[in-house]
Amino acid sequence: MTKPLKHSLLIILLAGYTAFAAGPFVWVAIMSLRTTSEIMADHFALPTILHWEKFPIAWFNSNYNVYFKNSAMIVLAAVAILTIVGAMAAHCLARYRFRLNRVIYFVLFSTIIFPPQITIISLFQILVQYGLYDTRVGLTLVYVAIQLPLTIYILESFFARIPNDLFDAARIDGYSEWEIFWRVSFPIALPAIATTMILNFILLWNEFLYAVVLITDDANRTLPLGIQRFMGDQLEDVGMIATGLMIAIVPVIIVYAFFSEKLIQGMTAGAVK
Amino acid sequence: MASNTSSMRDDGLRRPWGAIVAFLLPALTIYVAFTAYPVVRTLWNSAHKVLPRREVFVGLENYAALAQDEIFWRSVRNTITWASISPLAEVSVALILALALYAKVPGARFFRIAWFTPVLMSYIVVGILWVWIYNFDWGPVNAALRAIGLGGLAKAWLGNPNTALPSLIVVTTWMWIGFNMVVLLAALHSLPREVIEAAELDNCGWGQKLVYVILPLIWPTVLNLIVLSFIGKMKIFDLVWITTKGGPLWSTETVSTYVYKRAFEWSTFDLGYPSTIAAIWFVIVLAIVLTLTLALRQRSKLEY
Repeated sequence: MTKPLKHSLLIILLAGYTAFAAGPFVWVAIMSLRTTSEIMADHFALPTILHWEKFPIAWFNSNYNVYFKNSAMIVLAAVAILTIVGAMAAHCLARYRFRLNRVIYFVLFSTIIFPPQITIISLFQILVQYGLYDTRVGLTLVYVAIQLPLTIYILESFFARIPNDLFDAARIDGYSEWEIFWRVSFPIALPAIATTMILNFILLWNEFLYAVVLITDDANRTLPLGIQRFMGDQLEDVGMIATGLMIAIVPVIIVYAFFSEKLIQGMTAGAVK
Repeated sequence: MASNTSSMRDDGLRRPWGAIVAFLLPALTIYVAFTAYPVVRTLWNSAHKVLPRREVFVGLENYAALAQDEIFWRSVRNTITWASISPLAEVSVALILALALYAKVPGARFFRIAWFTPVLMSYIVVGILWVWIYNFDWGPVNAALRAIGLGGLAKAWLGNPNTALPSLIVVTTWMWIGFNMVVLLAALHSLPREVIEAAELDNCGWGQKLVYVILPLIWPTVLNLIVLSFIGKMKIFDLVWITTKGGPLWSTETVSTYVYKRAFEWSTFDLGYPSTIAAIWFVIVLAIVLTLTLALRQRSKLEY
């Protein structure tokens, strides 16, 4: 094969896959600006008039503002707790040698492969017992629990690579164990910590199974539950659902536009090691 | 405590128990309360009939019923099929794309970022989107088939028991290829340049270079991705729930959706039986993942 021919084949492959990967998003973006009757006339036409007004309609008529606020509160709280609690545990497992260290590490780590069913039914019972069922606090705590093993796993491998000399120096300077964590380990590990924060944020923002089991009241619903309900309500109104989907997609795309490298790093962090 | 002058050498060996306990306590408390205790309680449930106000010990009755439960075994088959096909499909396509980008095409950065996008979306958004893509009357799949004169092949892809599961496997593959590609590309870029240049000097063709040089070097990453993809598909729930709810005729029922149905949808008010399903599934998943990891490790040792 000649070089230019090879090259154009490669370009066709890449362009073809790009159309396959991005096509669905382009299609839903176009539909989000057309009314359902326009869409029913031709599903693949470009919009003639841009119906921007559909966005505020979808936002206000379907409680999106409530779902958005719930998701933001629950996920941000869970990520904050995860970061502190996870970093403390990871620092401890990476820094101190003691009996049980590897046992604790292995027990936490092996939880990553547990199927969620093994905890979800009894979590439902437990949260009901303690009055945390159908509350945002309850869901937040469960979210912390399900992401904790992966967080500790990623951070531990990073903390373990910080040279010991730094800690010896800090001890000579009279730092307490807590100060060593908070003023030495934590700042050095910030890139890895940012990575886990992004990973946890995306995974929890999209989380559905635990939310659908542990939340029933509309006022406590998170965004994925809200979208599901919205779809049930609108069923035949394809144009409106497309607008609702875009409202869910746009924030992710905006964050991605600014932090694509960091996001990719975060999402792939667990896989690379 | 830290002000004690201890020799610098054995600092790494010092065990400030107070600090160790303080650092670990929050994480372990959360772990015990929301992971370990629920696991134990699920196992306990599995030997009981768990009604809203009382529990009745039934011994192995639930387990005996489970052995006869055809829907359960159907869902196990579906899930394992999904978890076996997906890793191969995802990783092989991803490898082709990663190699294409590795060959220094213009705009590689753009492609990498664009292809990664699907995995950032929730299964809920992706599911609704693909319900439309597979729509019988106006979905792009059938529209394309009709446009090229193959209208006879058009069908309700998610409504047909024969095509529903393969159609959903296509969706997860679409979603995860980009992720696998990015990880593989990173592995390719971390290969030592000299090795590849040496292969080029030896007049290796692309195919040989791939099979004898590149693949063995990135094999650990490939294995990692396969196991990761497998574990992810063994858990799958959201996508099925939003698209088919396990239908038609149990053809897309996964263990996750079946447990959910038995626990929270069917009005049997018994949490014991679904706990039994969860317990057995837990054992199956652990056994498969352990075997898989050990077997692949063994293989990769032989490769070198």
